[in-house]
Amino acid sequence: MTTDPLLALRQVGHSFGGLAVLRSVTFDVPEGGIVGLIGPNGSGKTTLFNIVSGYIRPLAGTIDYRGASIAGSSIQQRGLAGLVRTFQTPQVFEQMTVLENIMVGCTKLTRTNMLQDLLRTPAARAQMQEIRRRAEAACERFRLGALADLPAASLTAGQRRILEIARAVVGEPRLLLLDEPSSGLNAQEIENLRDWIVRLNEEGITVLLVSHDMGLMTVAHTVHTLYFGEIIASGDMAAIQRDARVREVYLGV
Amino acid sequence: MTSRLLWIVAALVIWAALPFFVPRNIADLLVFTGIYTIAGLGIGLLLGHCGIVNLAQATFYGLGAYSSAYCTVMLGLPSIAGFVVGAVISMALAYLIGRPILRLTGYFLALATLALGAIASALFFEWDWLTGGTLGIGGIPKLDLFGFVLDRPSRYYFFVWIVAFTCMAVAHNLVGSRTGLMLRSMRDSSTAAASLSVDLQALRTQVFVVCALFGSLAGSLFAHHASFVSTQSFTVDRSISFLLIPVIGGATSIPGIVAGALFVTFLPELLSKLGDIHQILFGLALVGVVVLLPDGLMGAYGRLQRRLAPRRSGHDH
Repeated sequence: MTTDPLLALRQVGHSFGGLAVLRSVTFDVPEGGIVGLIGPNGSGKTTLFNIVSGYIRPLAGTIDYRGASIAGSSIQQRGLAGLVRTFQTPQVFEQMTVLENIMVGCTKLTRTNMLQDLLRTPAARAQMQEIRRRAEAACERFRLGALADLPAASLTAGQRRILEIARAVVGEPRLLLLDEPSSGLNAQEIENLRDWIVRLNEEGITVLLVSHDMGLMTVAHTVHTLYFGEIIASGDMAAIQRDARVREVYLGV
Repeated sequence: MTSRLLWIVAALVIWAALPFFVPRNIADLLVFTGIYTIAGLGIGLLLGHCGIVNLAQATFYGLGAYSSAYCTVMLGLPSIAGFVVGAVISMALAYLIGRPILRLTGYFLALATLALGAIASALFFEWDWLTGGTLGIGGIPKLDLFGFVLDRPSRYYFFVWIVAFTCMAVAHNLVGSRTGLMLRSMRDSSTAAASLSVDLQALRTQVFVVCALFGSLAGSLFAHHASFVSTQSFTVDRSISFLLIPVIGGATSIPGIVAGALFVTFLPELLSKLGDIHQILFGLALVGVVVLLPDGLMGAYGRLQRRLAPRRSGHDH
């Protein structure tokens, strides 16, 4: 057993064209936890998220995942190591069916090369069956079964969000990064999303959640508040809501 | 399912009988249709499943053709050597050039492939010690398959189409495989595909290599059919014809590639009987297909079927 956190950010900094968007951000995501990141627009949440998932290389600081630096890892390598993200605007594969979308999420669990696929070898066929079986199970589980054969382009915002989470979860992530998952959803859909986050966390998936939805954020065990690239407050949601600086930033009081 | 099987059997019977009933010039065009199907398949995989416009297929077609010509005429090697040499050179070139240029996307990538096609076309012209330049290389022997010479037109027809069907089966396998899923995912959203650990760069390069292999095979088949190859056959115009095949037929459909290949081989020939106006008419036909049938001939066929289906069930009630 190790006591290392699953994800550790140390003095992470970044700037765009001389404008500092992140300044010395340091926090941990413990294994099995739900960590939230709130902050007003432009506070650096999305940049931080892109840095953790590998879409942006930070200009300063270190990021350790499972005790080792992932600074040099590509997006794909991070994904294979169990670090998977969703997007603020759900990025479904629109021309593919719902089932196929989820099947893409399973592809990283198996290994065939293109030559095997071109020749449709028994190994390639068996792996494709396994991918389909897993995807069908996930489809049922996330109550997308009735939509399985529809193109993803025909889904509502709420359905797209669930599809994106199903597609990420089917690849057996250890750390699920959710970027503004409640944006564009109605109250009912947010409630449903909240249930899913809790359930997935209970199954052992660690969650890092970025949102400015204070209601959804109550699922987080620890919340960090970003303001102009700096963490100005940390604690559980109740403590954050009492914090004088957070109130000043959010409510102007 | 049984009606589909019937269709396939009927198509096979017609396919097998065709070379014995049609005039020589039509049989010749059918051979070209098979060759163009093979070259067009590669372009279709890139266009329909990766969203990549490849304007360099004539380069790989040329490499296959010149390899076959050079190996058989200049070196006196058996026919199979030309096929293998062409395939190896084409795949190696596609890999070496694909790695850097496939980082580009959209129009920039299309322009990069166009540049590759233009450079190769110029080199085919300049390196006349190898290609014969505008004079070309003539006297390419009939294809010899380990002693079995395909000297009759019907024999070559069958051989070309067996290769074409094999390539179609291979392409079909790819589309339905794990790789096919990943290709379509990155066509729809490369950002999301990356987050699911789809290695965009490697996959795009691999499909580019497969496309080059198909192009080279088609080129070797062309060389043995025409018995003469010269630079005029491997210009950028030819690459554009190859690109038209999936555009006309329907880029995501494999049978659509055959439809597209029939269009680009037969229509200009039929229109040429009308005299000088034929190029304009071909252009108009092309614009007509692209404007009226944006998802190609097979896409239009699919829509027609769907439109007829509910009506038919309506009559039953």
